[in-house]
Amino acid sequence: MWTKPWNMKEGFLIGGGLIIAGLALELSVGPIIWEAFAWPANGMVLAGFLLMIAMMFLLRKKVYAFQFVGTYQAAIPAMVYAVVLTIIMGLIRQKVGGTWLNDMLSFWPFVLIYVYITAILGVIILRRVTHLSSWKRDLPFLLNHLGLFIALSTATLGNADMQRVKMICGVDEPEWRAMTTDGRIIEMPIAIELKKFIMETYDDGSPKRFASEIQVVTKTFKYIETTVDVNKPYEVDGWKIYQYGYDTQMGAQSQISIFELVSDPWLPWVYAGIYMMLAGAVCMFAIGGRKRT
Amino acid sequence: MSWEHFIYFAIASVLLWAVGAWAAWRNRSAIAYSATILGLLVFFAFILMMWISLERPPLRTMGETRLWYSFFLPLAGLIVYSRWKYKWILSFSTILALVFICVNLFKPEIHDKTLMPALQSPWFAPHVIVYMFAYAVLGAATVMAIYLLFIKKSGVAAEEFDITDNLVYVGLAFLTIGMLFGALWAKEAWGHYWSWDPKETWAAITWLAYLIYVHYRQLPRHRERLALWILIGSFVLLQMCWWGINYLPSTQGSSVHTYNISD
Repeated sequence: MWTKPWNMKEGFLIGGGLIIAGLALELSVGPIIWEAFAWPANGMVLAGFLLMIAMMFLLRKKVYAFQFVGTYQAAIPAMVYAVVLTIIMGLIRQKVGGTWLNDMLSFWPFVLIYVYITAILGVIILRRVTHLSSWKRDLPFLLNHLGLFIALSTATLGNADMQRVKMICGVDEPEWRAMTTDGRIIEMPIAIELKKFIMETYDDGSPKRFASEIQVVTKTFKYIETTVDVNKPYEVDGWKIYQYGYDTQMGAQSQISIFELVSDPWLPWVYAGIYMMLAGAVCMFAIGGRKRT
Repeated sequence: MSWEHFIYFAIASVLLWAVGAWAAWRNRSAIAYSATILGLLVFFAFILMMWISLERPPLRTMGETRLWYSFFLPLAGLIVYSRWKYKWILSFSTILALVFICVNLFKPEIHDKTLMPALQSPWFAPHVIVYMFAYAVLGAATVMAIYLLFIKKSGVAAEEFDITDNLVYVGLAFLTIGMLFGALWAKEAWGHYWSWDPKETWAAITWLAYLIYVHYRQLPRHRERLALWILIGSFVLLQMCWWGINYLPSTQGSSVHTYNISD
């Protein structure tokens, strides 16, 4: 063991080491507090992470472990750990503010394994970019791996900057205030006035459509009249307005409509990653598996 | 144009696809291509006329979703056939398409079934159709793995492993597209692209499992039988994602994806 070249066994030991380190962190500092990563902390963490990956790549000839990180023997065990931890997550009921396995997303071993996978992605992307051979091999590879790298890193770090608030609007009453997920009332840069709540039902009484005719006024002096449907949010000034609910006691006669307003400044980056992976998947289908030589 | 006319178009299409499938077995690829494409055109003509007479794309009801599924299956089969010339793929896609056509023919009441507002989205059909196709192709890969592990047992030919690998690549590509379509839809419907809903968690597990297979197969000096076992294990996880989670205690009442639980 630990004789070069390292193999899958060493890969599993490194992953296991990360799990133990994660458990030690969980015991000593407690679960990860993702809210602490709000801007600019997440920007600095991302810069540091990218710098670390660049250093690992540049020092790969000097430090064997950094070279090993870019191999299948490192990547496969990391993915096996990720699958096992995610299966545990899928089998145990998750709740926000839970502990250990009940809140996997804040559980250090789970997060460290995914960070490790992302770091591996970063190193192999740099190696591929510096050793391009043919676009037919490299383009799908880069779309898939770089897309996943961008989506994983920006979705995770950007989560702290996402704002989700609820706004309860009565008919003909402009509303500026909204309620955050932790129950605080805040003033929004957008006001919504409900003009009319629309509810249609099927013959059997089940809901067919619910929507709201609204007037939106923004602090940037925009004045908009629009209709917000389920599945058809309206976007203004970086906020997406969703039809969320209504007075279920009143049904079609509801005099209020509840909206969810979501702002996610990192969304374009996540979408860039998602669209790269989509293009990569199309390439994977078009070009197919490896060819025997 | 209405569902009453569906049977004529369906019979014509299935007959043409069957001729295509038969021609593929007989290595008459010109007939295979033209019959399958003609069948697709006939079938699409019905979809198009439904579209016009409904004055909306036929994507809303489950019956309409199955219509697209029955259309895309032979199309995907044809693309796979044109790439790798597998004789059996057109038969496979024709039979699957026939199953969904039969459901539409013999269970006509579902055509008007109501659809809750959250499902009324242009993403609904592609998300489901792409996933169904991925499941079908990965099912075929699993059949290959079982055949190579338990029936053939030794002396797996490189070509046989190539078929398995290619099926996994196609299936994984569609699995990825289905998952990402789901993410884009979720952003429009629920305000976030990934919420670790139990269905999403198991979709991520399934996706990672197939990624392990793909990467393990690239590893120099890997064990082929272990690779085939990974494939079978991945398909078990896929079943968990598809319908297994409906029975998991950890997901009761916490997933927007659990089907057929009436409240």
